[in-house]
Amino acid sequence: MHHKLMPVLAALTLILSACAGSTSQPDPISSNQNGNISGKLIVYSGRSEPLIQPVLAAFQAKYPQVEVLLKSGSNSQMANTLLEEKANPQADVFITTEVFTAHALSREGVFQSYEPVGYQNLPDAYKADDTSWAGLTQRMRVIMYNKDLVSLDELPASMFDLTDPKWKGQIAAAGSTNASMQAQIASMIQLVGQEQTEAWLNGLMENEVTFFGGHSDVRKAVGAGEFKLGLVNHYYYYLQLAEGSNVGIIYPDQAPGEMGIISNATTAAIIQGSRNPDAARAFLDFLVSAEGQKIFAEGNYEYPLLTGVTLHPDLVPTDGLSMANIELAQVVDHFDATFDLIDMANLP
Amino acid sequence: MFRTSALRSSHRRQNKPIPKIAFLAGSVALLAVIPVIYILIHALTGDPELWQRIIQTRLIKLFSNTLWLVLAVTTGTSLLGVSMAWLTERTDVPGRKIFRWLLALPLAIPPYIGATIHLALLRPRGGLISLWLEGNNLSFLPLPIPTGFWGAAFVLIIFSYPYVYLLSGAAFRSMNASFDEAARMLGRTPWQTFWQVTIPSIRPGITAGALLVALDMLAEYGTVALLRFETFSSAIFVQLAGRYDRSAASILSGVLILLALIILYGEFHIQGRAQFTQIGSHWRPATLIHLGKQRIWGFLALLFTVLMSFIIPVSLLMFWSTQSILDSQTFSGMQIGSRGLLSFIFNSVWSSGFAALLAVLFSIPIAIYVVRYPGKISRLFSRLSQVGYAIPGVVVALSLVMLVNRFLPFLYATPLVVVMAYVVRYIPQAVRSSESAMRQLSPSLEEASRLLKRNALQTFMQVTLPLILPGLLAGSALVFLSSLKELPATLLLRPAGFETLAVRVWIWSEEGFYFQAAPAALLLVVMSIIPLYFLLQRESIFKQ
Repeated sequence: MHHKLMPVLAALTLILSACAGSTSQPDPISSNQNGNISGKLIVYSGRSEPLIQPVLAAFQAKYPQVEVLLKSGSNSQMANTLLEEKANPQADVFITTEVFTAHALSREGVFQSYEPVGYQNLPDAYKADDTSWAGLTQRMRVIMYNKDLVSLDELPASMFDLTDPKWKGQIAAAGSTNASMQAQIASMIQLVGQEQTEAWLNGLMENEVTFFGGHSDVRKAVGAGEFKLGLVNHYYYYLQLAEGSNVGIIYPDQAPGEMGIISNATTAAIIQGSRNPDAARAFLDFLVSAEGQKIFAEGNYEYPLLTGVTLHPDLVPTDGLSMANIELAQVVDHFDATFDLIDMANLP
Repeated sequence: MFRTSALRSSHRRQNKPIPKIAFLAGSVALLAVIPVIYILIHALTGDPELWQRIIQTRLIKLFSNTLWLVLAVTTGTSLLGVSMAWLTERTDVPGRKIFRWLLALPLAIPPYIGATIHLALLRPRGGLISLWLEGNNLSFLPLPIPTGFWGAAFVLIIFSYPYVYLLSGAAFRSMNASFDEAARMLGRTPWQTFWQVTIPSIRPGITAGALLVALDMLAEYGTVALLRFETFSSAIFVQLAGRYDRSAASILSGVLILLALIILYGEFHIQGRAQFTQIGSHWRPATLIHLGKQRIWGFLALLFTVLMSFIIPVSLLMFWSTQSILDSQTFSGMQIGSRGLLSFIFNSVWSSGFAALLAVLFSIPIAIYVVRYPGKISRLFSRLSQVGYAIPGVVVALSLVMLVNRFLPFLYATPLVVVMAYVVRYIPQAVRSSESAMRQLSPSLEEASRLLKRNALQTFMQVTLPLILPGLLAGSALVFLSSLKELPATLLLRPAGFETLAVRVWIWSEEGFYFQAAPAALLLVVMSIIPLYFLLQRESIFKQ
């Protein structure tokens, strides 16, 4: 009820203020573009800082009156904070590394609806039915490897090959606090069932996989040859490649009958009760705009979700790849099971 | 029986009306214990099913991991701290006056910075030492694995031994020569004298230092997380980043606090006895032991310790900082949102400074009450106000998030909550400094002032305060130093845009961006050396 009225009220206020002003703007969104937005914009982010800072800096350059304040942490830590702050909201925008957290928080009424400019050009799989969040970029779960240490004929072809004892002590991954890892486990529960997922996690533990706090550490360790294989999001492979390391990428589970590549998307949403909704909207518009999408695509090697934005030339187009069939709403229901599995497997 | 006790209590009431200061002291004690009580209640009223799941899945491993680490680090710091103190205080090892200072300086390096450097040096294949060995065809030489139990224990020992070193150094210094001489005259060898006379007489000092180290280890988050050895503190963090439920984190916090309270109780017990090495009128310093040809070994041991715990880490930080400042891309990467390095420095300084001021202000009523009105109640208040020693930063944070959001929502997500966490956690240090300053002040001065018709407040402002001021400043320097280095509570409680040097160092090093982390880390160390220098100057072992 409440959140359905909000956009109407907001639109009314904007129309009234537009009428009062001398210049009449045809629609409320383009009034955002004139740079009159100011104040603090508080962004909570589950993304690794170096991957989000360039787009914040570009937004800042465009709206010098806005002061961007960033608090980053793991997705669920931020989600917990947002839930706790529901009665006393502090943030304006939340950026996640995967869609499930966004969907779960949206169910809890943490976000307000907003359709950024270009929203209709985002794929349906990566936006909320009630426009409470919008997808930004797509990423895939892949295996990266050190070419000096692994020969082509022994490469793993599936996520499940990572539990093969021949890789014992040779694999690095991000730990249970990492949202992309959590999301992968949740997706696998939907794709192959709880039992197989549990067996896979136990297999990783038995294989003495080293779990780091984040993926930057994983990619650097594989790049340096500390580990042969790394379980990462695809762009970490490209970032490491760009640093000159001799690394390769594996798109796992491509054979017929296998689950396919687990993909996910970063999302952004405006917090219900945001104190600076104008800046928040302008920020979301910017993130979805070709300009913002280009920063993610060029700097971070992510797949832009906005149609028409060109991929980084090094990226393999997703068309030829077999992608896993993930049901958003179902996976969110597997969240509790995910954390139960993490506890049972004692994933660090 | 009944009558006499009734008589006695009425007699006592007549003689000693409750002083006003007791109410102030009581409020401080209450403020200090609220977060502990809140989290304990939260934990104990947790879902029994959840308790069962935690006991089954995590608790035993966490208990054994945490206790082994505490045991290893306390033992290690005691051995290292006492031998360093013995070498510099009791022997004629060359350069001991300089070493006295250098050995205390690791206190300016938070262990998580030490752990970052340790990793950057020793990571298999990726670390600087490993790369150097590889480059010189020496890669057959085995290197220790930098992570896990031994890595964490090593790092924590070399950055925590100064606590024991300082306390046992002071004890060696104040030891009376006649004890040793008596033992030698009774036919004991120097070795027997050391174990039978010297060590027992400095034991309270060592134990007090070791117990403080043990409490610190229970609270340690950064090092164990970075070196991937799971203890209670890091497990609580993992829980906070897991499911949308704080109950499991509360339960783990409750168990951790109980463990810490036991150690704190032991520390209180020993603390009273730690001061028995007093300097009487017939005191003379023990004669130095001549090491003879062994001097070189003593010297090398000192040099090695100082190199590992201070010179190498600081040199590396300087080197990386220079590189990162020269590289414009890394340097621009130090911008977070609209905020840059200057804002991190400013936040670190004002929040720690404000916390130091508040902690010392709050400690004054406790100190006056416990020193001027000794008794069970005043001692209880003093101890309650020191419970912060037993609350790890992550627990303070968890407790304050829930408390403030519920009862003081207007304070929520302001930097003041971070300051509150520092005060709760470090007020014990201020209380101890203020108490010892008060103890050295003769009550007759205050009585004289009252006779001259000054009221209580005037007496405090004109007589007591000026005389205990150096002690208060020492307390505030200690709180400032600790707050500056504090990591877990700051990490969890900081509002958006409030980044401190400690937080920046942590986030960058956790992602493996050592170059970016270096300038912030170096600044943190340099800023910590200032209050540390002031504190060390007051220590007896640095007075010549």
